[in-house]
Amino acid sequence: MTSPKLDRRQMLKLEAAAIAAAAAGMPAPALAANLVTERNNSEMKWAKAACRFCGTGCSVMVATKDNRVVATHGDIKAEVNRGLNCVKGYFLSKIMYGHARLTQPMLRKANGKYDKNGEFTPVSWTEAFDIMELKWKEAIKKRGPNGVAMFGSGQWTIWEGYAASKLFKAGFRTNNIDPNARHCMASAVAGMMRTFGIDEPPGCYDDIEATDAFVLWGSNMAEMHPILWTRLADRRLSAPHVRVAVLSTFEHRSFDLADIGMVFKPQTDLYILNAIANHIIRTGRVNKDFVAKHTVFKRGQTDIGYGLRPEHPLQKKATGAAKPNDATDMSYDEFAKFVSEYTLEKAAEMSGVPLNRLEALAELYADPKTKVVSFWTMGFNQHTRGVWCNNLVYNIHLLTGKISSPGNSPFSLTGQPSACGTAREVGTFSHRLPADMVVTNKAHRDHAEHIWQLPEGTIPDKNGAHAVLQSRMLKDGLINAYWVQVNNNLQAGPNINEETYPGFRNHDNFIVVSDAYPSVTALASDLILPTAMWVEKEGAYGNAERRTQFWHQLVSAPGESKSDLWQLMEFSKRFKIEEVWPEELIAKKPDVRGKTLFDVLYRNGQVDKFPVSDIEPGYANDESKAFGFYVHKGLFEEYAQFGRGHGHDLAPFDTYPRERGLRWPVVNGRETKWRFREGSDPYVKQGTDVQFYGHPDGKARIFALPYEPPAESPDKDYPFWLSTGRVLEHWHSGTMTRRVPELYKAFPEAVCFMHPDDAQEANLRRGDEVKVVSRRGFVRARVETRGRDRPLRGLVFVPWFDESKLINKVTLDATDPISLQTDFKKCAVRIERVNLS
Amino acid sequence: MTTTAEEPNAELKTRRGVIARSWDFVLELWRVLTRPSSVFALGTLVLAGFVAGVIFWGGFNTALEITNTEKFCTGCHEMKDNVYAELKSTIHFSNRSGVRATCPDCHVPHNWTDKIARKMQASKEVWGKIFGTIDTREKFRDHRLELAVHEWARFKSNDSLECRNCHSADSMDITKQSPRASVAHQRFLFTKEKTCIDCHKGIAHQLPDMRGVPGWQ
Amino acid sequence: MMIRSATILLAFAIAAGASSLTAQTVTSGLRGPAPLDDEGPAPPMLPNRNTSEKEVRNYPEQPPVIPHTIDGYQIDLNGNKCLSCHARARTAESQAPMVSVTHFMDRDGQFLGSVSPRRFFCTECHVPQNTANPPVSNDFTDIDTLLSRSSPGGRR
Repeated sequence: MTSPKLDRRQMLKLEAAAIAAAAAGMPAPALAANLVTERNNSEMKWAKAACRFCGTGCSVMVATKDNRVVATHGDIKAEVNRGLNCVKGYFLSKIMYGHARLTQPMLRKANGKYDKNGEFTPVSWTEAFDIMELKWKEAIKKRGPNGVAMFGSGQWTIWEGYAASKLFKAGFRTNNIDPNARHCMASAVAGMMRTFGIDEPPGCYDDIEATDAFVLWGSNMAEMHPILWTRLADRRLSAPHVRVAVLSTFEHRSFDLADIGMVFKPQTDLYILNAIANHIIRTGRVNKDFVAKHTVFKRGQTDIGYGLRPEHPLQKKATGAAKPNDATDMSYDEFAKFVSEYTLEKAAEMSGVPLNRLEALAELYADPKTKVVSFWTMGFNQHTRGVWCNNLVYNIHLLTGKISSPGNSPFSLTGQPSACGTAREVGTFSHRLPADMVVTNKAHRDHAEHIWQLPEGTIPDKNGAHAVLQSRMLKDGLINAYWVQVNNNLQAGPNINEETYPGFRNHDNFIVVSDAYPSVTALASDLILPTAMWVEKEGAYGNAERRTQFWHQLVSAPGESKSDLWQLMEFSKRFKIEEVWPEELIAKKPDVRGKTLFDVLYRNGQVDKFPVSDIEPGYANDESKAFGFYVHKGLFEEYAQFGRGHGHDLAPFDTYPRERGLRWPVVNGRETKWRFREGSDPYVKQGTDVQFYGHPDGKARIFALPYEPPAESPDKDYPFWLSTGRVLEHWHSGTMTRRVPELYKAFPEAVCFMHPDDAQEANLRRGDEVKVVSRRGFVRARVETRGRDRPLRGLVFVPWFDESKLINKVTLDATDPISLQTDFKKCAVRIERVNLS
Repeated sequence: MTTTAEEPNAELKTRRGVIARSWDFVLELWRVLTRPSSVFALGTLVLAGFVAGVIFWGGFNTALEITNTEKFCTGCHEMKDNVYAELKSTIHFSNRSGVRATCPDCHVPHNWTDKIARKMQASKEVWGKIFGTIDTREKFRDHRLELAVHEWARFKSNDSLECRNCHSADSMDITKQSPRASVAHQRFLFTKEKTCIDCHKGIAHQLPDMRGVPGWQ
Repeated sequence: MMIRSATILLAFAIAAGASSLTAQTVTSGLRGPAPLDDEGPAPPMLPNRNTSEKEVRNYPEQPPVIPHTIDGYQIDLNGNKCLSCHARARTAESQAPMVSVTHFMDRDGQFLGSVSPRRFFCTECHVPQNTANPPVSNDFTDIDTLLSRSSPGGRR
């Protein structure tokens, strides 16, 4: 190289840079970086994709070269994010390239054959499916269809979730399939279903630019929904009259923009919500016309328990635990009387929030001239009364008529990229079918069986095992064959020590985990299936504002990795219908005899209708190549039949590659921004102005629901509240983000955030190692008294992204009894110093 | 009108009377003090005077010093819940060497005359305490800019004296500083172009609304 | 002493061999050596990197990481500490890199007179870097490396 002479200082600088680059795992660029003048060389192929992380649903542009992703950035054309990404989104380029991806199936073996206590040994796909098939058939033989189960995800693409749901509900004939979205927004689903009779938010993100006030209920948007936060910040800072109120059980980054910041004692949000309703009534600001026309009042069942095992004392004591979802009619006056005891003064006393702030908050809702958006996430949803919280916030919006119009919006944000698109809309829950239908409803089952061209009675009529119940049944040996896809439940699920881990290692059980990386869940399993991720397959996600977004396969998966979709469909070939269906069912449709589940479910004349030639030229599609038809299009079009004409209309498949997503219902090519509002929602009858058509009477429900205490509160042995949650730089269990060095270094390890005075009183200081101990387990972490999360005295916060500190060994598996979603925000712990030995 | 017109004169008379009587008292006192003692020895008198002086001076200073402790400052919830709570997570509260600043280290001048002047200003703070000027977080936030501006002005006018009581520019080893700090101190501190507070606002407490503050956007 | 530590090591190795979970052929790297049914020690908290040296970006669109510490930097309704050095008007004095021009664009791509409010919270995209070493490396390959690989003998 004929480089010009460098002086010593320059040389040192270059050396230092090279060392730094090498240490960071980055290639050192050549010394003389000239311009690449050959356009062909420097050209990269750009294509759009939905971000792999949260439910915001940002669109990203992905650059590929030589079958590798080389760059990503925020999609300028996307309505959601208009060119922005958060730090995780900007590093999407690196999430698939963490060192040592899983590239071949791994089975626990000893002496050449499967052994529960054996060591992970590479096997072929054939061998992997052989043992899976064997274990599945054994479990079905031993326990019937409910001896098998699946735990999926709101990170499944739409077709993956649909194919899985169909395989289990119609193929294996068990409803034992649930998504990890159960941990995330099941309370939002149940809340919507109870109040509106139809799932998913009435408003959309456009409300952000139209509103006068934001109220964040248990939502740290600054870290968890960063791009929505940029829109919120944009609105607050550009329109000075706009107010931001933030409620949480500890101070976090969203308080940086708060005009009204409120830290309340855990569980007292129930008081605050009722007190606001009371304030609206007492000050005469009820929108009487709206309430009379569009709402009815219901008294909800009380004393509903905590979703614990039936033998738990709290469960036995709960008088309403058998029918938690029941409600009886009541009048407006009765409702007004019910909430009258919830004064702002009492709420202030119970919650510890100064009265003047509660008054300011209540006025945001009560003032008829102020448009309000309420956002909530896990603070509401992960709550033993999470469904109630959802209902109570809808109460406030309904009493004031502040709903379904620009700037007036109660809005539940989602944590996963397709919690809405896959878990909710496709209905991968243990009680659901597509388009809000449920397995316990005969008409709904009939409709699904009709679309699927299956005999009446194929779909079982009982709810399957939900997330927490699956863990309990595994431990009890009632589910013996278990398949986990796209999630990390051994890190994310509650009470790992007492329930999940013993279930995984129970010798009666065979556990399969499909993942791209060796997550702790994979390491606790018996068979690991290497899985294609994100743009290694064609996909579609549905975000929190009902927007369906599509991407093409852009690169191929490493080694023998296969997509979840391929795994599900290929595995279905292993079952003859006679092996999984009873004779009387087969008799109703004799032509299925001798066929495999693959033939009946996927090569059914609908799913296999579209030829491979329909795939857009220039893009790979590994599954379609393998099966010989355009799998994704076929699954999508069959699935879309469920929603079309039923308020869940999706556009034709071919529309989505061209659009930056569309918000359903999409009718006559037009998306819907505000539901239930005439002129915006095509399903609202002319002349009604507003119609909550989810319920047959077209009216929304206002629920009378009281305060009830949490399942576990601090006491003298366990004096602290523990709240868990996320941080900006890591997504969920960190299997992707902690493999990106820049993100790892931005927040390397989980810490125990606590108040400096609590630390001082316990003779602890920042950086001390402590054990966070509950009745169920412990983790070891370092004390942090500074930084982004600032609890009040008496509460500690430990994020759960760090697999070297499995904080969910500490949490309690108490759930909301209606939604069956775990409360990860409240349990009692003590903090013990770890002495230096 | 007539009655009132007479009043000033009457007042003047009485006032003159007071002044005259005071003057008489002063003269008498002077005579007593200047007359040599016939009862006590001079040494005794000097010693007694010295002791009395020490007691008086000591008592005054002790009282003053009590008001110069962090405990006194944070005795009011206004200080404890706002500025003191904020201080706790900063480097001036906990750091590697454990040398920390207490409230008076930064907010009370060490030099006596300035200290007395500052203490006299503090009477306004007593007034504020009695009338609850900042007795809620909201009120404190509303006054935060005003309060901060006072302190910034004081630091600016005395060349950040209270910073320099601990952080002497002469004693700084720039090789031990981060590259950014080292460069900034060489360019601005050592050349006396700027004083500490110009760059280091908000290091011990949260900042007020910084719109319009030089150096902030 | 030597013998004793050897015995301990041996005992440890036997224990490790006996427990299937500690002797796996696949490990996550991120979990550390603690078996899943136990919890290992938490390593000491390390400081963040504190320099003014830039780090190379993986691709031009990547937001640069922050090479220095930002402990106690306030970014809230009252002000933005980052901008007191990185704002356009401040860069002559601070010699800090100016915020990118893209940050002046609003949602509709129109340039504003100052940084757009949507970009107000710097730490949504720009993060400081701890001195801890990531236990798992990343095999991402940047475009320059790919290009030089594709043209034998180097492309330049």
